[in-house]
Amino acid sequence: MPQKRRPNPLRAAFTGPHDIGRTPPGWALMGLILLGFLLYPATASAFSATNVAYYLLNIPMALGLSLLWGYGGILSFGQVAFFAVAGYVYGVVAGNMTADPTLGSILGILAGLGAAGLLALIFGYFIFYARVAAWIVPILTLVLALLLSTFLGLTAGSAWKVGDVALGGYNGMNIPSLQIGNFIFQDYAFYYLTVATVVLCFIGLRIRVNSHRGQVLIALREDPLRTELLGYDVRLEQLVAFVIAAVLSGISGLLYVTWGNYITPSVTSLAQASLPVIWVAVGGRDSLFAVMILTFLLNQLTYVLSSAGNQYALIITGVLLVAVMLFAPEGLIPRLIELGRKALRLKEAT
Amino acid sequence: MPDPAKTILHAIGLQKRFGGVVAARDVDFALTEGELRCVIGPNGAGKSTFFALLAGIQPPDAGRIELEGEDITRLKPFQRVRKGLGLTFQTNRTFHAMTLRQNLDTAGRGGEEPAPFRAALTAFGLDRGLDRPVTALAHHERQWLEICMALRGRPSVLLLDEPTAGMSPVETRRTSDVLRELNSGGLSIIVVEHDIAFVRATAQMVTVLHQGAIFAEGTMAEITAREDVRAIYLGKVREETA
Repeated sequence: MPQKRRPNPLRAAFTGPHDIGRTPPGWALMGLILLGFLLYPATASAFSATNVAYYLLNIPMALGLSLLWGYGGILSFGQVAFFAVAGYVYGVVAGNMTADPTLGSILGILAGLGAAGLLALIFGYFIFYARVAAWIVPILTLVLALLLSTFLGLTAGSAWKVGDVALGGYNGMNIPSLQIGNFIFQDYAFYYLTVATVVLCFIGLRIRVNSHRGQVLIALREDPLRTELLGYDVRLEQLVAFVIAAVLSGISGLLYVTWGNYITPSVTSLAQASLPVIWVAVGGRDSLFAVMILTFLLNQLTYVLSSAGNQYALIITGVLLVAVMLFAPEGLIPRLIELGRKALRLKEAT
Repeated sequence: MPDPAKTILHAIGLQKRFGGVVAARDVDFALTEGELRCVIGPNGAGKSTFFALLAGIQPPDAGRIELEGEDITRLKPFQRVRKGLGLTFQTNRTFHAMTLRQNLDTAGRGGEEPAPFRAALTAFGLDRGLDRPVTALAHHERQWLEICMALRGRPSVLLLDEPTAGMSPVETRRTSDVLRELNSGGLSIIVVEHDIAFVRATAQMVTVLHQGAIFAEGTMAEITAREDVRAIYLGKVREETA
């Protein structure tokens, strides 16, 4: 067949077929959004910038779930488990190394992400190599999150100390900020760290989904047996996607604990476990760009509603999910784009 | 060049039961290199089980399978494909969310395009419009795309399960022509099929399955000359179509 040369990975990330925003208007929109975020601190207080960083910090977790569910067809309700594991492990490591905060931060990050990845590797191995039916995976992953939440809730008291750091049960665990030398990542610095992390995760995943392995993942979502009979070890492909998604959740967990210097078992509660699924489903699960935008907006909505004393933030988010599933099951942003295209065609026709 | 003295795919004493039903009974099957074999049989004869056992979708209760002399009985389906089996299903299983090119790229596992693949793609007329979605293709074109996908993975044996299901006589004839062309280039092919017109036009050798066992083997002329085969299969088909 006429060979189409595979573009270099970075080029493929922006021109490849497996996401929206692969044409000049899409790039312009991405550039404008990025510019807006880069310039935002010039007009905002450190407090506001820190709040915006909070709306952003869940994006890596959502992007990971988009890869796993939207592209790979594997729905996980347990992403918050990896978020929590990374956060707690970072807290324990960095909290025990306060004498050398730089080393504590670096080792904490490595250990946190490593623990999230290792948990996913072990848990995922048993799920995927046992060829558990696809509909059971969400239940098993939810059980993982809830078990972890229950366990962490039982860790109050002095018996649950790792070195100098108490896990704290529902009282929570205090966690040091990210620090390199004398530089502490807080306020504007934390904001820029979060923006940079989100951009890197987004580009990295765009490269992944537009690579050969990304295409195999999509094939797997479509028809696992056919994919296997083309010579792919579907168990391995699924496990790799699961571990990548877990590490991305871990990145969100690290950003979260270094943002608030605190974590409690409630981060893996049932309500929290459902949130990433809502962000991804509402955004448009097989579009990284859509998931990124909607995760930011929904986090902002929840935060604003909650801080205004609204008791119903979660209910409003849930109602939004139901409405989107009814009227735009492919996701809000893909639906809006489709409507926009239809309107343009109608205008051209008249 | 293919060596007709060499057995490329060998099934020895394959057995498979589903509850009380014997779906494969002491199946001994040998395909020589460069051969084009059709496997036929009435409904329930065990054709699908035979395909599933060769592909590794079902493990046999007993017996073994060798590909190019290597025991592949315990290998998973994806390992068998990597060893050289190229497979298509009875029902069309192309990836509908993808274009033709993406389907073929996925099937290629990142390797070079083999010559039989390029020949088949051109012969089926699928080399134009590779960036069309699969959903734009007609049924028979999707079946052809599946054959091209199987060829893209550089198989040494092509195993096709009813590749002409749902095709018109003209399309069936074209499929037969392309398969014979591929075979004359040295590719070993097994086609599980029940379309007798296709088998007559295509096969060098025919294996007849009946009640899970190999009932007869020979050229099409030898097979059609046998009264017992006509009684279990060919005669039945004639009665049905009469």
